[in-house]
Amino acid sequence: MADERLDGYAEALLAVAAAEGQSTVIEDELFRVGEALRQNDELLTALSDSRLPIERRQGVVEDLLGEKASAVTTALVSMVVGTGHGGRLPEIVDAMVARGAANRDRVLAKVRSAIELTEDQKTRLAQAIKSSTGADVEIRVIIDESVLGGLVTEIGDDVIDGSVRRRQSQLRENFG
Amino acid sequence: MTTTIRRAAGTLGLVGVLVLLGAVPAGAAGETIGTCVFEEILYAEEEFGSLHVLEEAEHKKDLVKFEEDLEKCVEAPSPIFPEWDEVIWGGAAFLILFGFMWWKGFPAVQRAMQARSDKIAADLDAAEQAKTEATTVLADHEAQLAGAKAEAAQIVEDARAQADLVAAEIQARANEEVAQMRARAAADIESARSQAVSDLRGVVADIAVGAAERVIKSNLDVDTQRALVDAYIDEVAGGNG
Repeated sequence: MADERLDGYAEALLAVAAAEGQSTVIEDELFRVGEALRQNDELLTALSDSRLPIERRQGVVEDLLGEKASAVTTALVSMVVGTGHGGRLPEIVDAMVARGAANRDRVLAKVRSAIELTEDQKTRLAQAIKSSTGADVEIRVIIDESVLGGLVTEIGDDVIDGSVRRRQSQLRENFG
Repeated sequence: MTTTIRRAAGTLGLVGVLVLLGAVPAGAAGETIGTCVFEEILYAEEEFGSLHVLEEAEHKKDLVKFEEDLEKCVEAPSPIFPEWDEVIWGGAAFLILFGFMWWKGFPAVQRAMQARSDKIAADLDAAEQAKTEATTVLADHEAQLAGAKAEAAQIVEDARAQADLVAAEIQARANEEVAQMRARAAADIESARSQAVSDLRGVVADIAVGAAERVIKSNLDVDTQRALVDAYIDEVAGGNG
């Protein structure tokens, strides 16, 4: 998929979310769906397998999301899968989220955590990042138990790793 | 040559037969004893009329002479000189035989002897030639043998030198290979040691980290998780992230 097409799909998803008046919720759900697919290769492959009928792939999306996501989110994911670009849905969602944050004059910050953050923690983290980098960020939390504890923040190509996993890696390296 | 010898032998045989025929006893060629006695008796009877006259005393000397004449009849011929007729016939036969021998036998014998002599001379020359050739061949063979021995000795010497050279090369190559093998073995040992140490460190790290993970997981309750998040936020805010 060309970048123009990827941007087009991202723009379309943003437009639909805005039109539905649920930009924050839809962006957040789409972001979670994209991360879930990124962490599940089999599911991503199934959604992009051209040997499966499109209706079957869309049925899988509806069965998975069902009541877990809003109808708009499910419809948008089903639409992308139906156009045959289900395999690039994580990239489309990333572009959409980044574009949404940019529309709000913010920078997307992906935060990986073993537990869900409270709103207070998200607010304080955004403030801390701004005080550290000078940039207004929009926090998107990804639940990742492999982090074990602490947080891993990705802002563009920059990574701020304060996880227990990293400390274990450092401990392993020190032993090695 | 064989024919000539055969002719000579035949001639000699004929001469022998003639010689035997001519060598009959002298007595057989002249008058016999009986004839001699008979002639003496006739002579005595003619002279005295009867032999009984001789028995008379006045003829005693005649009787003695008559008896001596008779005894002469029985005397043997001369052992040295034969009767003249024998000499004549024998000499004639000898001359005939000698002439025949001179005419036929002697040339044949001479030719045979000459041929024999020539053959012997030729054989001697041939033998001498053969001896010379054999001597030459022997000398050549000895020279060749000496050359072969020298060549063989040279070959053996060259082979020995080549063998020494090959042995030295093999020894040098073996030494080099041994040195390389030792170096490789030392490198392998060092690599294995390093790998073992690394593996041991890895195992120790896995054990230690695994133990740490188990300790951490057992202690990572919700409050601890939130405390870690808060600490992270504080670190980022402090610019230490």
